[in-house]
Amino acid sequence: MSDNQENEQLEQRLRTALRAVDPGEAFAPRLMARIAAEPARTARPARAATAASWLAFGLAASVVLAVILAHQWQVRRLEQGREARRQLLEALRVTDEKLNLAYRAVNAREGAAPAQHSGA
Amino acid sequence: MKTGCSGWHRLLAPLLALSASVALAAPAALLSLPDFDALAAKATESVNISLDTSLLGLAAGFLDSSNPDDAATKELIAGLKGIYVRSFTFDQDFAYPEAQVEQVRRQLAAPGWQRLVQTNNTKDHTRVDIYVSVDRGVANGLAIITSEPREFTIVNIVGSIDLARLHRLEGKFGIPKGLTPEDQDGKPQK
Repeated sequence: MSDNQENEQLEQRLRTALRAVDPGEAFAPRLMARIAAEPARTARPARAATAASWLAFGLAASVVLAVILAHQWQVRRLEQGREARRQLLEALRVTDEKLNLAYRAVNAREGAAPAQHSGA
Repeated sequence: MKTGCSGWHRLLAPLLALSASVALAAPAALLSLPDFDALAAKATESVNISLDTSLLGLAAGFLDSSNPDDAATKELIAGLKGIYVRSFTFDQDFAYPEAQVEQVRRQLAAPGWQRLVQTNNTKDHTRVDIYVSVDRGVANGLAIITSEPREFTIVNIVGSIDLARLHRLEGKFGIPKGLTPEDQDGKPQK
């Protein structure tokens, strides 16, 4: 087969493939309807995707915030607990100290009484 | 000096007998303490402690039960509803308004409070009052008021406290040791 024949056959195939085809009368309205429907169909997933992104971001932010707040609460609770423990031990120390003061006062009186009695 | 009782154990005995069981704290056991804030600036040392039920619970949570001393403290405060301490030390004699201390002492004249110890040493101007609040035969509160020329202390414990247990904690947590005959003689006082 010569080059010329090959070119003709290729040209013929292209003509056949690219021949004008009548799409029919219903094509235009169908196309218009599809075009009209298309933006609505694509807009909905875009909004959903945006909302989902915000939701994910919000959830992540909430989790981070919750972790930070829980940590702060724990630190504060720890400080309060240590301070309460310190105050408790200080209160018990003062109480015992004053009970001992009472004991010494009572004991001094006990010691003084026989001396007074024997001297009378 | 006048006294209403004698000896450490005799001092504790009536209270121990009364504190056999834990009682619900009657409101009467909680004293109304004046606002001593102004005194804190004048005092060389001051202690202002207010531990209510929730703070006592919080403090108890920070006591290690596996540590014997902490465990003993935990047991000691188990029946308590509150501990309130006001203590001020000054560098001059009688720098505090005695009227405010008297105001607290007067509250102990109310029914329900029973005097356990009262000593008044006119020579060194030291007065010690220990009162116990009793409700239906059960001790549910304790008040200690001591006044000295340069120091006064008010302790109000609401709830049932075992003072013998407190005494056993001596030498721990900074609770002073060496003041009682047990410590001085090396054997318990009979």
